[in-house]
Amino acid sequence: MGDEDSRRPRVVQRSNTFVHLALAVVLLIALVASACLGAFTFTPARIASYVAQSAGWIPLREADTLGRNVFFQLRLPRVLLAALTGAVLGVSGTLMQGLFRNPIVEPGLAGTSAGAALGASLIFVLGGSTGALAFSAPLGAFAVPVLAFAGAFAATILVYRISSSFGKVNVFTLLLAGIAVNAVCGAGTGFLSYVARDPQARNITFWSLGTFTTADWRGVTLVGVCFAACFGIALGYAKPLNALMLGEDEAAYLGSDPRRLIARLLVVNTVMVAAATAMVGVIAFVGLVVPHVLRMMRSSSYAFLLPASALLGAAMMVVVDIAAREVIPPAELPIGIITAVIGAPVFLWILLREQRSGGSGYYG
Amino acid sequence: MSFRAGGALILDRVSVAFEPGKLNVILGPNGAGKSTLLKLATGLARPTAGEVRYDGQSIAELAAEPLARRRAVLSQHVELAFALPVADVVLMGRYPHYGRVPTERDLEIVNRALAIVGMEDKREQPYPTLSGGEQQKVHLARVLAQIWSDGDARDGAGAQRYLFLDEPTSGLDVHYQLHILAVVRGLRSPGCTVVAVLHDLNMAFEYGDHFVLLERGTVAVNTDDPRAIPAEALERVFRVRARHLQVADGAGGLWRFEL
Repeated sequence: MGDEDSRRPRVVQRSNTFVHLALAVVLLIALVASACLGAFTFTPARIASYVAQSAGWIPLREADTLGRNVFFQLRLPRVLLAALTGAVLGVSGTLMQGLFRNPIVEPGLAGTSAGAALGASLIFVLGGSTGALAFSAPLGAFAVPVLAFAGAFAATILVYRISSSFGKVNVFTLLLAGIAVNAVCGAGTGFLSYVARDPQARNITFWSLGTFTTADWRGVTLVGVCFAACFGIALGYAKPLNALMLGEDEAAYLGSDPRRLIARLLVVNTVMVAAATAMVGVIAFVGLVVPHVLRMMRSSSYAFLLPASALLGAAMMVVVDIAAREVIPPAELPIGIITAVIGAPVFLWILLREQRSGGSGYYG
Repeated sequence: MSFRAGGALILDRVSVAFEPGKLNVILGPNGAGKSTLLKLATGLARPTAGEVRYDGQSIAELAAEPLARRRAVLSQHVELAFALPVADVVLMGRYPHYGRVPTERDLEIVNRALAIVGMEDKREQPYPTLSGGEQQKVHLARVLAQIWSDGDARDGAGAQRYLFLDEPTSGLDVHYQLHILAVVRGLRSPGCTVVAVLHDLNMAFEYGDHFVLLERGTVAVNTDDPRAIPAEALERVFRVRARHLQVADGAGGLWRFEL
């Protein structure tokens, strides 16, 4: 037992923490940039002054009323919702890749997001006191996320059941099942958007490509609470998630219950993805790119991946949202266009590598 | 104990006692029930009738983690598509022992397990870049770490440990085959029961101490002495012709098989 051996754990611990801190700094910079940029441009000093005024540290200035309202009612919820959505999608990609034991899975591919969108749009069209889903009226504002969860869960379970047998996941069946479930949900959502009267539900672009233009504090609260709860639970499963990389039997030999783990984490994953999708629509590829970058950067260990994918997912989404606002002002690009431009090539690259390596070892 | 799957009786009233301090070898042709016997003995599946006891205690009474602290399983081929450093894979063996963060002792055990299999210089290397033989060594180190015992009270000293190996050398070149069997043989101790399913009969007879020959779900031969296994039994069970050849240096002999 030399010094070298006893030093190692601390070194690893420290470098994990270092990467997490670095990612947190990147996220912070992205958040500030996103808060400043847009149709209304705020300087950081001005934002600080708004915050101080609202907190009552300095007297409210009449001339700042419009700016304050724009910042607190439009800009800030939007920035936060983008960050939370990115965190949800990053963590979801990380979780789903572990549960399906495959690095190409993400909520957009496995039908989770599309199922959530279908569930949510059902409420917009058939909900309310007179619609076919009038029974959902007592749920009030929660009807949308609840139905989004139901849709997302049904879609995910369907894809998981079709693609896995005897504790193994078949990647081709998984892709095909994902395509089919996405197509059915997309068609359903598309149909509903044509018969809908609600302007938000009518917006097919909203559902299929995602946007943060409708962000408000209600959405921030919903996604924030769901993310915090689900992320907290997922963190507790870092060890069994690692063990599951070896397969269900090996995980069982190592003292975990893989069936229960998969069932619980699929629910946890679906809750946060459904909440985010109900608020911002379907955004693909973030859940794919974020864990991929992190696995290549450092390691596939879940103790590292889970916090890192939350931070990197949030930072990436905030930056994408800045781009969505700044590329063709005053118009806005749908979020999904930008994430697809970044994500699709990464996806193809992973598939190519997979093909070349003959099916084993994605990150060597 | 017996085991049924889909109406077929896979194991029929098999009763075996694996002996501590010995390398117990399960032999038998494909479909004889070797894997099933191993699944039942490791607790991965429950017998339809009968029970599995470790040290007199039924394993059905043990929760998953306490069970995992006492019994480890080295499988034939473990797939791992994600890039984890070798040391992280071996650390998984310590998962049933620690909570959120590994202790210094867990990390020390990882290092010592890696040293036993001769992989200490590859500890930081990503697992998928290793050769098949090296990967199997890493998993051997992982199961060693899982049931590690050096008399330290912290791992419940005195409790009998069980190591199961399911064709641990299949698909490996002869160097890795010998290396892995040598390490496994070195584990025999009064506190550790080792059970291996092996296909290579000559290697099994050379390294094993106790032999259980399965034939269509029943025990055909159960003996300590490989010479007590008659050629007729091997011929019948494996559907081959068997001849025992003496080796010049007098170190036992070798079986030669023909169709």
